[in-house]
Amino acid sequence: MHFNIADVPQQLVNGLTLGGMYALIALGYTLVYGILLMINFAHSEMFMAGAYFGLLWLNILSKQSFFTGSAVGLVLLYGVSIVLSAIMTGILGVLIERFAYRPLRHAPRLAPLISAIGVSLFLQNAVLLWVSSRSIPFPVKFPVYQYTLARDGSGSLAFTVLGASDKIVDKLGQGAHAIVQFSTLQIMIIVVTLVLLFVLDTFVSRTKLGKAMRATAQDRDTAGLMGVDINRIIAITFFIGPAMGAVAGIFSGMYYGNIKYNMGFIPGIKSFTAAVLGGIGNLRGAMLGGFVLGMAEALASGFISTAYKDVIAFVILILVLIFRPGGLLGESVVEKV
Amino acid sequence: MARSKRFVALVAALAALALVVAGCGGKTSTGGTGGEKQAVTVKIGVISPYTGDVAALGLGIKNGATLAIDEANADPELKDLGITIEGMFVDDAADPKTAVNGATQLTSDPKVVGVVGHLNSGCSIPASAKYNEAGIVQISPASTNPKLTQQGFKNVFRVCTIDTVQGSFAGDFAVDKLGAKTVAVISDSTPYGDGLADEFAKQFEARGGKVVSRDKIQLKDQDFKALVTKIQGLKPDMIYFGGMYTEGGLISKQSKEAGLRVPLMGGDGLYTQQFIDIAGAANAEGDIATSVGLPLDMQPKGQEFKAAFEKKFPGTNIEAYDTYAYDATMVIVEAIKKVAKEMGADKLATPAGKQAIIDAVAKTDYDGVTGKVAFDEFGDTTNKAITAYIVKGGKFVPYEQ
Repeated sequence: MHFNIADVPQQLVNGLTLGGMYALIALGYTLVYGILLMINFAHSEMFMAGAYFGLLWLNILSKQSFFTGSAVGLVLLYGVSIVLSAIMTGILGVLIERFAYRPLRHAPRLAPLISAIGVSLFLQNAVLLWVSSRSIPFPVKFPVYQYTLARDGSGSLAFTVLGASDKIVDKLGQGAHAIVQFSTLQIMIIVVTLVLLFVLDTFVSRTKLGKAMRATAQDRDTAGLMGVDINRIIAITFFIGPAMGAVAGIFSGMYYGNIKYNMGFIPGIKSFTAAVLGGIGNLRGAMLGGFVLGMAEALASGFISTAYKDVIAFVILILVLIFRPGGLLGESVVEKV
Repeated sequence: MARSKRFVALVAALAALALVVAGCGGKTSTGGTGGEKQAVTVKIGVISPYTGDVAALGLGIKNGATLAIDEANADPELKDLGITIEGMFVDDAADPKTAVNGATQLTSDPKVVGVVGHLNSGCSIPASAKYNEAGIVQISPASTNPKLTQQGFKNVFRVCTIDTVQGSFAGDFAVDKLGAKTVAVISDSTPYGDGLADEFAKQFEARGGKVVSRDKIQLKDQDFKALVTKIQGLKPDMIYFGGMYTEGGLISKQSKEAGLRVPLMGGDGLYTQQFIDIAGAANAEGDIATSVGLPLDMQPKGQEFKAAFEKKFPGTNIEAYDTYAYDATMVIVEAIKKVAKEMGADKLATPAGKQAIIDAVAKTDYDGVTGKVAFDEFGDTTNKAITAYIVKGGKFVPYEQ
């Protein structure tokens, strides 16, 4: 137990970044659950696969001098890699649905669940055997700065940008200390995540396809009778979820500097928890759940104990479920007919 | 649909087979052309993590043992006795449950007369009970938690020194060489990491230093930013981490990125190039790892080992425990020779032969790559050398004043 009030702003930033990644992954769980009432345990591997596809494209595209020559090129390098990886992961998601889940759609609910676990193990081991069992460095080719709000030597507020080897005391004088810092990567993750969440939310609530998705979620058979192509809607769902997961995977690779064949496991479980916390099946709930869980973890490990941070996060989950069984934003009646 | 299911099953079966083949893909020498004597094949089990987070160190153990087994089979003395030694390579994935399963796999093969193994103390300790039950010798090249040899098992040995020695060496080092007065101590909630960090903290405090925080992290975690933020507020002179390189590398990276530019120090679990790769060379610069034994170049037969290793495994790094695995294997080979001479090669794989091998190992007096190998009454090595390494220019080099 250690409470230092000065750490609070920084811990919130740490939590926000972590929460953003959880939210992106949680969307995949909640979308699939909303439509198929199925927990897609292979989703954590979409996160992993996305990171590997991202690295693949980064390596391919870095060979073109166009992408490495200028600042615009670097932004495009990462932008294009993320988009291509998201598309590839989305296609992988659609294929998994086609071959591992669709044949079991009318089977008892346990069957697709087991199939999902099988797909997850298969993908992990495929990467383990074909790529490597080791951590692979994930390159960040642009300079990372710390955007720092601080008190300078005389105690007044100041803002400064620190490079990788700058010291805050050199910039702001002896006795200066940071109040809160955002790194380039943290800003990128938080901003892109919020934009994606907004776009997806708009897509589902305002477009015709989104309407069809909501109809399918409400009642699959009736939606089919009303002329909605159920298989197409499900395929789209299985494209969007993994694509979002892929973006999170690439962010994770850039943020932590490494990717590994089993990197999806822990974030997968945490994000599933986030989806349940927010109310599984509810899009905004997954987003909220992701951020709440990320914050809870950062605050718990910063102020209470790193060893117990998961315990604390799950106690929060249990408390929420006791008082709101459907999750924070879930409907109180979860039973669907 | 039934067809596609059968196809999936076939693919799964093939995948499983591929795993098994990959696991056993070591060397199967075809020696044993002992003229008049009947050829006998015995096996030495080599068990360490070949996959997973610490595979770099585990595969190093496999390489060291493979080299020793190959050399043993080329030894004319062993050929005269009509003995061929085969390695039985098992992956424990650094996971205690898998380790115990692997131990059972080894002990259920009657030809296995000795085991070189387990990297992690958390694996060695539960598995040692299995070897004890089966009455075969176990020599760990790398498990440093004191408890391993204090269970009263007469068949358990190690060629590396223990955390008590390593932790107190590190405590002294931090005070004397780094001039640290305050430290943030972190460990990874494993017997190895916690034990080492506790020993370090004890010695550091005994020497007048102050431990400003003591945290435990969980294996496979990636995000230590919250912990780093907390430690940053306490302004320690250094961080000590008891654990392996995966988490250690991430902590080093994340602390320096956050502007906490103090050296991270740890034990033998950090002493691999992978630590630097994960942290990034710029972040790892100045970080320190202690490791058991002397640097390869200073080990009595280090150069010979290096030459043989590079010939056998071109392009592969020599990791922290390769020479220890080599020596551990050779100690068993020597014991096999001795017992074969006394009892006859055909008795090796019998319970009496296995017991005789244990007794022979206990009396080992062998000039290994790492120096003189001999065991005390607990089965711990009498070689207590520890070396500190510092990251300079993206590589670990022995620390010099």
